[in-house]
Amino acid sequence: MLRFLLSAAFWIVFAPTIGVILSIKFNYFDFLGNISWLTWGRLRPVHVMGVIFGAFTTAVFGLTYYMVPRLCGVRMYKENWSRVIFWLWNLGLTAALISLPLGQNLGIEAGEFPLWANVLIEIVLVMITIQVVMTVVHRREKRIYVTLWYLTAAYIWTVFNYAFGHFILPYSMPGVNNAAMHGLYIHYVVGLWITPAGLAIIYYFLPLSAKRPLYSHKLSLVGFWSLAFFYPFVGTHHYIYSPIPYWTQTIAIVASMMLIIPVWTVIQNFYGTFVGHWKRFQESYTAKFLIVGALYYLLGCFQGSTEALRSMQTLTHFTDFVIAHSHLTVFGTFILWVTAGMYYVIPRLSGRELHSHALAQWHYWLTVAGFSLMASVLTLQGLIQGTMLGMGADFVNSMVAMKPYWFMRTIAGVTMDIGALLGMWNFYITVMQGRRIEVPAGAVPEPQWT
Amino acid sequence: MKEGDGRINVQAEQEDEHPEISHYEFSGIDERHGVIPKWLGAVYVILLIWMVYYLIRFWTDKG
Repeated sequence: MLRFLLSAAFWIVFAPTIGVILSIKFNYFDFLGNISWLTWGRLRPVHVMGVIFGAFTTAVFGLTYYMVPRLCGVRMYKENWSRVIFWLWNLGLTAALISLPLGQNLGIEAGEFPLWANVLIEIVLVMITIQVVMTVVHRREKRIYVTLWYLTAAYIWTVFNYAFGHFILPYSMPGVNNAAMHGLYIHYVVGLWITPAGLAIIYYFLPLSAKRPLYSHKLSLVGFWSLAFFYPFVGTHHYIYSPIPYWTQTIAIVASMMLIIPVWTVIQNFYGTFVGHWKRFQESYTAKFLIVGALYYLLGCFQGSTEALRSMQTLTHFTDFVIAHSHLTVFGTFILWVTAGMYYVIPRLSGRELHSHALAQWHYWLTVAGFSLMASVLTLQGLIQGTMLGMGADFVNSMVAMKPYWFMRTIAGVTMDIGALLGMWNFYITVMQGRRIEVPAGAVPEPQWT
Repeated sequence: MKEGDGRINVQAEQEDEHPEISHYEFSGIDERHGVIPKWLGAVYVILLIWMVYYLIRFWTDKG
């Protein structure tokens, strides 16, 4: 578990740093010269795949090994597989992310890894899915908590979706059909992997960090089933006003708007858990990152749902409004939620107090300040650019008008990266040198600030 | 593999006073059976009505 979380800490710093490099190139296109493997086109997939599979997924694997046995009351099925999975995953991912700037790229967004890397990743996904499912099957805890619904579903969906996106999509269905299927693939990565895995994490750590019961099992049911029903239809909203049949676009728009149901449902569940007990927000970094992430989730998903409407698409397609949405959700929500999980788990697993309250404060505030600036700037500039293009402005002129906003986005990204570096360094020092928590035999460590 | 602060001893007392709370023994998580707030129920209904309207109105681009 700790190995996965510490390697996730590396990816959480590395992948966004590539994002900062990309951001600098918007204003200074000669940055890093004309070296082919440092060009924007080769580095961008390193950032995207590094965040999704490096930062987020590695942390989810580590947190899975923490949450699932505790929710089932038994040890993880085939526990000894985790060592193989750790090395296969991290070495495979490293090799795949190196291959991208060297020019190996399948040309599918969020599906760029070469075939050999996809085989390794699929093997890992199948192994860990078997572990999760069989642990649930052999559980001692009678009731299945909502975290396990989301985790089990996320792993099973992703085993199939990853295979679809990497072994079928690149080699079949040419033309518009391929674009339509790609829309489904990429949104299944976001909606049937990242979203349910992230929700599993907040549902686990929120009641524990609040020291309160979860607000409503009934809301958990509505949130899960509405996500499972509506999300699969959403993907074609990437291709509104394209040659893909009109009725499929309409279904995607409707499903995108209906996602307001699961989002507002889970937000009410989280808010209801904390209401009247906000003091824990001040005492716990787990609570801080979870609640702030939930706020970004509400904003980002409302933005995403309304963005699918044809009238909004006319304004926002091909602008940075779309980038605001993707960052509000992937970073603002899900990276913050796995970070929260790391704040809870790392001190408890290592038996050591968090090394530095000051570093954690800096991590939190630099992340909130930097990311709030990034989300605001990208949203605003997207609306400005869309309005300019709608009024007939020359495309190049609209790009020139965006330059000050791109510069602010770079400042925001640097701020976030410094925060992440401080936070992850804090985790590393905690494990290596943190003050041991003194507990009676058989008791569980209760570290401060988590 | 139990977490929390002695929740096992408090469990029976909690369930007597608040029968609507479920306790997950090994993780230490508590969960209310809970409700769906009325305002949220109204949001569900409004969205479902909008969904039917939009599907019918925009099924083809000839409308």
